[in-house]
Amino acid sequence: MNEQSFTFPLLHNAVGIMTPFLLAATGGLFTELAGMLNIALEGLMLAGAFFSVVFAGLTGSLVLGVLLGIASAVLAAALFGAVSLNLKANVFISGLATNLLASGLTVVLSFQLFGNKGVVRFEIPQLPALSIPALARIPVLGDLLIGHNVLVYLSWLIVALAALIIYRTPFGLRLRGTGLNAATITSLGLRPRRYQMAGILISGFTCGLAGALLTLKLSAFVPNITSGRGWIALVAIYLGNKTPWGIVIASFIFGLAESLSNYAQGAINIPADFILAFPYLITVLAMIGYSIWRHYRSRS
Amino acid sequence: MKRTRWGGELLAGIVGLLITLGISFAVAVVLIVLLSRQPLTTIYYFFVGPFTNKYYFGNMLNTAIPLVFTGLGIAVAFKSSVFNLGGEGQVYAGGLVATVILLALPETGGYPGGVLALAAALGTGACLAGMSGLLKMKWDTDELISSFLISSAVIFFVNYFITGPLDDPASSMLATNAIGSQYHFLGIFPPSKLDISAVLAALAAGLVFFLMYYTHWGYEMRMCGLNREFSRYGGINVSTYVVLPMILSGALHGLAGGVAIMGTYHVAVKEFSFGMGWNGIAVALIARNNPLGVLPAAVFFAYLDAGAKAAMLHSDVTFEIAAVVQSVIFYLITAQALYGYMRYRKGSP
Repeated sequence: MNEQSFTFPLLHNAVGIMTPFLLAATGGLFTELAGMLNIALEGLMLAGAFFSVVFAGLTGSLVLGVLLGIASAVLAAALFGAVSLNLKANVFISGLATNLLASGLTVVLSFQLFGNKGVVRFEIPQLPALSIPALARIPVLGDLLIGHNVLVYLSWLIVALAALIIYRTPFGLRLRGTGLNAATITSLGLRPRRYQMAGILISGFTCGLAGALLTLKLSAFVPNITSGRGWIALVAIYLGNKTPWGIVIASFIFGLAESLSNYAQGAINIPADFILAFPYLITVLAMIGYSIWRHYRSRS
Repeated sequence: MKRTRWGGELLAGIVGLLITLGISFAVAVVLIVLLSRQPLTTIYYFFVGPFTNKYYFGNMLNTAIPLVFTGLGIAVAFKSSVFNLGGEGQVYAGGLVATVILLALPETGGYPGGVLALAAALGTGACLAGMSGLLKMKWDTDELISSFLISSAVIFFVNYFITGPLDDPASSMLATNAIGSQYHFLGIFPPSKLDISAVLAALAAGLVFFLMYYTHWGYEMRMCGLNREFSRYGGINVSTYVVLPMILSGALHGLAGGVAIMGTYHVAVKEFSFGMGWNGIAVALIARNNPLGVLPAAVFFAYLDAGAKAAMLHSDVTFEIAAVVQSVIFYLITAQALYGYMRYRKGSP
């Protein structure tokens, strides 16, 4: 992307960077609303990242890559869901297992397929950028909204759709009911487990897409490319007060922080490791700030 | 004859554990058959490799030592229903601080310096985890996520020090200078790296067991772990038992780092402690959070690692298959469906 053409490259890039957070958090919201802690977001995203770029490389098609990447992440989510719900494993531990499986299996497969445990490059087409002239005409905001790749715009559609499903459909109502009180859902003759499974599978879908975005943008797979993004997405769900619109704001803040640290890296001489630590620090600070705010609000 | 409830639970626990381990071994075999061009050799080294000579066997036990400390750290936290996901960073930072102290000390006798370094490693871990505990107590910040995030940030800062200001330019590795040989733990099983800290690990397990089951603090920690509201009603100062288990847990993690440096590595190499924190969680779960059970569980986990290493050296698979097999254990170890009788409280592993 040509950064010069944007008036506010810092903000413009933040919109691109926030997308994986936004997608993973939106899917994770479904799991969260169904009353389950989803710390597998990281692993699901990693699975999507690996398989999308590998399949895109094998088939030469970005669309197939994205679809098969999502399918892999959904499959991993199904395993996570089946173990948590059907075998009644602790959801926190099976989430850790999913993260461990994803980071182990991607390295094993990368070694097996490409003889390389490091960065693997693929000859695949660039993600196409989408130009929407109508958006460009909006003053100031238009600058932030144009010139992104298709997956970024797709993510906005997904968030809108998620809000619609959560608040405007019987499914969304029952999903939220499951989280509030599973016994009530049971007494209505419904099965809470189904909604929890649906929440997990949806998180697999969006995390797969989020992962695909990470690797397809680079045309390469980097081991543990997600580097904590799933965890940050999880925090974004809480900071966003468990609403889709709140998640958009929280994700934008994290996107902005990362965009800022990218610029800092170029402008001032800060060690690379500090830059890498920055997203975690900003996330933990945001989380502490949020809990302080909640603490005093509940008192007054 | 009527079987007692406890006997039944124990039996179901053992059966469940055997099923879990059986499935994880089956996955290992399937993976090897799929991935290796010489599956029989690979399978042989994966399962038997660690026992083929003194060197491998000793190193396997040596790998278990830090896992005992991290496993104990997790067991203390989980028994109190507090979650410490920051093990990775706590071990790593503990190791770094111990190294820095040993490098800074003048060349004198080993004992006071060694003790000081271990104490500092312990303190570092305790502070890092204690922060999450305090945040939880004061503002109800989720300790599970905060400990993970703090630890992840800390890992990068430790990386910075190891590869930046403390890097030994003479060494081709990304590592600090080596600590003085007077601070090395005594080897007890040459030619392997197994050293005297094995005794420390066993002592620590005994000590934690005593603390948890035979002291007032331990009792109150376990009560809070079972039911925090009930404990509050019973007059226990429950907010203390959010912070205390975190501090203890962090201290044990920090100690793992210090012990690994003084016993095994003798220099702080970049990412030397990778995996010790996560594996500690699995170790504690296999041991059902029993401090004494942590000892065999850690050896078992070290066995998987050693097997994968032997298979990598003698055959054509990569070390990370151990991570895949370990993830299978992670998946199944809390599965109630496999542990028929075991009763779990909602939310506690």
